Amino acid sequence: MADPIIQVKNVSKIFGGLTAVNQVNLDVPEKYIYSIIGPNGAGKTTLFNCITGFYIPEKGEILFYGDPIQGLSTNLVAWLGLSRTYQNIRLFSNLTAVENILIGLHPNLKSSWFDAIVHTRSFIKEESGSVKEALRLLDYVGLKGYGDYLAKNLPYGLQRRLEIGRALANQPKVLLLDEPTAGMNMNETAEATHFIKRLRDELGITIILIEHDMKVVMGISDRISVLDYGTKIAEGNAAEIQANPRVIEAYLGPGGAALSEKYIKQRQSYAQSH
Amino acid sequence: MNRNLFSSSVKKGLTFGIVMIILVLIDFEVMASILLSKLLGVNVIRGALPQVRFMIIFLVLYGMFVGWVASSNHEKSAKKLFQALVAGLTVAMVVGLFDLVLNQLIITGTDVRAYLAALGPASIKLFLLEKGALGSLLHLGLFTGASLLGSVLKILLKSDPVSHFLKSISTVYRGLRAKAQANTPDWIKKYGKYLLFLLIGLSAFFLPRMWGSYNNYVVGLVGLYVILGIGLNIIVGLSGQLMLGFAAFFAMGAYSVALLNAPLPLGIMLGFWPSLAIGVLMAVLAAVLLGLPVMGMRGDYLAIVTLGFGEIIRILLKSDLLTAFTGGPRGIQDIKGPTLFGQPFSSDIDYTYIILVFMILAIFIFKRLERSRTGRAWMAVREDTKVAEATGVNIKNSKLLALCLGAAFAGLAGGIFAARNQFTGPNDHQLMVSMNILSILIVGGINSVPGIILGAFTLKGLPEILREIENYRLLVFGGLLVFMMISRPEGLWPATRPKIEKDEGNKQKAASPPGKGGQNG
Amino acid sequence: MENENRPPRRYKRSNLSKIVRWVLGIIVLSYILWRLYTVFIVQNEYNPDIWFRLLLSGLVIGGVYSLIAIGYTLVYGILRMINFAHGEVMMIGTFAGYFVFEATNAIKLTSSSGEVTSLSNAQPVLAVLLAFIVGMTVASTAGFLLEKIAYRPLRKAPRLIPLISAIGASIFLQNLAQLLFSPLVRDYKNPALIARGQGWPVTIAGAQVVIPYTGVLTFSMSIILMFALYTMVKKSKLGKSMRAVAADKPTAALMGIDVNAVISQTFIISGLLAGAAGVMWGLHNGLVYYYVGFLPGIKAFTSAVLGGIGNIPGAMLGGMLLGLIESIGPTALGISYQLKDVLAFVILIIILVFRPSGILGEILSEEKV
Repeated sequence: MADPIIQVKNVSKIFGGLTAVNQVNLDVPEKYIYSIIGPNGAGKTTLFNCITGFYIPEKGEILFYGDPIQGLSTNLVAWLGLSRTYQNIRLFSNLTAVENILIGLHPNLKSSWFDAIVHTRSFIKEESGSVKEALRLLDYVGLKGYGDYLAKNLPYGLQRRLEIGRALANQPKVLLLDEPTAGMNMNETAEATHFIKRLRDELGITIILIEHDMKVVMGISDRISVLDYGTKIAEGNAAEIQANPRVIEAYLGPGGAALSEKYIKQRQSYAQSH
Repeated sequence: MNRNLFSSSVKKGLTFGIVMIILVLIDFEVMASILLSKLLGVNVIRGALPQVRFMIIFLVLYGMFVGWVASSNHEKSAKKLFQALVAGLTVAMVVGLFDLVLNQLIITGTDVRAYLAALGPASIKLFLLEKGALGSLLHLGLFTGASLLGSVLKILLKSDPVSHFLKSISTVYRGLRAKAQANTPDWIKKYGKYLLFLLIGLSAFFLPRMWGSYNNYVVGLVGLYVILGIGLNIIVGLSGQLMLGFAAFFAMGAYSVALLNAPLPLGIMLGFWPSLAIGVLMAVLAAVLLGLPVMGMRGDYLAIVTLGFGEIIRILLKSDLLTAFTGGPRGIQDIKGPTLFGQPFSSDIDYTYIILVFMILAIFIFKRLERSRTGRAWMAVREDTKVAEATGVNIKNSKLLALCLGAAFAGLAGGIFAARNQFTGPNDHQLMVSMNILSILIVGGINSVPGIILGAFTLKGLPEILREIENYRLLVFGGLLVFMMISRPEGLWPATRPKIEKDEGNKQKAASPPGKGGQNG
Repeated sequence: MENENRPPRRYKRSNLSKIVRWVLGIIVLSYILWRLYTVFIVQNEYNPDIWFRLLLSGLVIGGVYSLIAIGYTLVYGILRMINFAHGEVMMIGTFAGYFVFEATNAIKLTSSSGEVTSLSNAQPVLAVLLAFIVGMTVASTAGFLLEKIAYRPLRKAPRLIPLISAIGASIFLQNLAQLLFSPLVRDYKNPALIARGQGWPVTIAGAQVVIPYTGVLTFSMSIILMFALYTMVKKSKLGKSMRAVAADKPTAALMGIDVNAVISQTFIISGLLAGAAGVMWGLHNGLVYYYVGFLPGIKAFTSAVLGGIGNIPGAMLGGMLLGLIESIGPTALGISYQLKDVLAFVILIIILVFRPSGILGEILSEEKV
């Protein structure tokens, strides 16, 4: 088993009196689809923000291929190969879809302002190459033909795809997706799930997922961690998590485990007698 | 329903009535009548009052405007007329009351010009159409009748030419261009570009020699402001940093050229071109000095800090403390102009050439930057700074670069400005200059080169040409800004995003023409 | 999919701007300390009476700035826009007060003993009160109209648009005043009781200093108005509505607050304060002209930012601080009085560099990721 690509070691993030993330430990092996779930306010997005550099954790370390990345500015984190999407879509609204993806390519390009003005040969080559690559990515995420639409004018589902497209442009090693299927109906969710799996299978990207839709989580995750009030309360594969009483209680409240067991027994007996 | 129409028309009438009173209090009606008079061929000696009939014409036009506005688009003709009638009557009554007061002033011989500068007896008499108290009755008839006339006009025309006009410029251009592209034969498409450049080049060369030094002055001024507008656009439009003290960089360039190229106070005669280069460098240096500490500031704070920076520079330049270095409040005179290959190159024609060349260079650089990795990084910073950073952009470097490049343009323009005027002083670098450039950007259309040119012409060129409204220039300017923001915030010539997918598709079509078993239909 | 263009590993957040900031701060601090040393220890030519006079003048002007600054901060808190035309609202107040005093001066009363005096001098309290009331009313009406005409249509527009509209409104109002009343600089005709320059004589360190009547009036009115406003914002229903709208406009609307009315009332209140400040300016400084609101407007906005924009006590503090710096600063540092504005702006930049949200901190929501 290879070394985990991302290691979160004892990370805590404290805002004044509130401990949003409390000594969380998790290891994400390479090329895994790793889901982080938990009720609202559990600290999932805060953890993402720590990993990607938006927040500096008060305690703990975050390692990428063994090197500490906590506290790095977000653009350096991007340079290193981590990309993310956002819970409430944050595209560059007044730019076209293609331009959004082109900006995603930024860390991979190296032309300077001088090259741009003078149109050096390397600039021309790089620019045309990046346009082709952006269009290719546009097609890959299924937005062919929408390239010249302003990002703010795209329908919701396509905006989500564009955000992924922009994240992919970075050629990331790790892709952090924050609630990618929020607001989607069943069909769209199925499509999105399939697509996320493709990303890992075709491109070899390690995916870390925050999700609320259990079908998605249980469907494609290789491993799941559950956060509740900032603490990790369980980790395992789909079956283990579903059966874990602490997890059930986190979602359903105290007494939930017992209630859930009762309900499961009821269903089983119903299924048996029919 | 009728009551609603009635009250809204009364409201409109009240507003227009009060506006009319204010116009009289600032002598605007006199100025407008003079303009009308000149337009219709009757010249008015400076300082004299126009003939009564032109005042009548002005009042009629105003009344028609009231009627036009009062007739809302969605009503039947009869209702439109009703609205206009009510509005016109209301205006007439409001103005009528005012007329009574004016008449009293005339009768009692009171001179209120100590308080209200425009109410001289001659102006009042003119407004009352030389008929004294009867003038109010005449006003009544004029306003009501003209208002109805305006309504009739609107009914007949069935559409709103005013908003059409405002929409027209860029849409008309695009429409024409589309038609042209469809209808031109291939050889023009290929060589047309070069032909156009040749045409532009020739006119740029010959026109300045032909149209007199005043036009050269105006064109030069507009050109300089285009350069300034582009510089500010890089900072505000592309990278989204609100800057209110842009004139400071302008001052760097102007004073560098002035100090290095005039007999007093320093007596260094370095020559125009080297001092211009130094001016640009000084502006960039100032940008770095300003930029580094303020990199982290939020938009509105940045605005006030840059405003403060601009004021600091101006006050320092004006202060007695630094007069030995900067020429103090009186500025620097006798700045020498450029030379080309040893020959003096500083006639007004030569300056126009210089400005046009640099203007084209500025546009060229801007367009190249816009469509590049650097430009896109700026735009990402503008749209969503935190996400731009998370996507890999180094925010601080990006913002600083934008500041420096923008400042460079300002320094360049400043240097040329100072040399052309052969003088510069602290008054050339006030806050108003920064506001002007920002206004050009917004009124013309932010991020749009044709918009900036149009804006520069409207806000700088036109006032020079329309000398008549000299006194009212700033009033109109201020009102225009408010009006434009409410009615057309995207500017006179809005920017458009490039159609990259379409262009790429066209390129591929051109590369593999149909007939070779074409891939995409 | 290896990418060769990745930069070498750098593990610290970039320190360059931090270094520059501290260098800048140290330079400015050293300069200030050096100048203070020179002025106080070495030269020591200024007697306490001069300092006292400067202190008084600083307090008075600080009070005026505070009132105007509160107006800026209220509008910013509720609309997130810089009301550039606020200085002109003050100017309108100044002019209104001027006309009141002209009127009261022109009305002549004959007393029982046959003496003829103007209403102004016979009933100075009435005249001053009238001036303030009229000034404040006219200014607040102007503020109300300003919002209705130039800002309300732009409520949903991106930030730059209302700013330009405000700039346009400012230029428009300035020039309207210039065209209406001519560029002539006029004098306030104070009632004789509180003529400019008169006051209570006080002996400080052997020298005579006059505590001006107008100064005392101005300062006390400023304090009263500030206190009234602060109480209003903290306690009254309108104040709560204002704070709600400032914190979250859509939710406030959902809670049943009439957002448009609250915004109009905010402008009316800032207009009232600015109008009062305008009349005070006229009484104390005496000058009325179309451009009179420009510089105080900018300075007041600077004060609001200095104290933390959106923060009402911040605006008060910032205004007072700026007034004192302007007044005492140049003499304390031994630099020319011309450079007082430079000093003020430099202090502003320094404060914002080290404390980007102003002295008392801004009251705005954190940006959420």
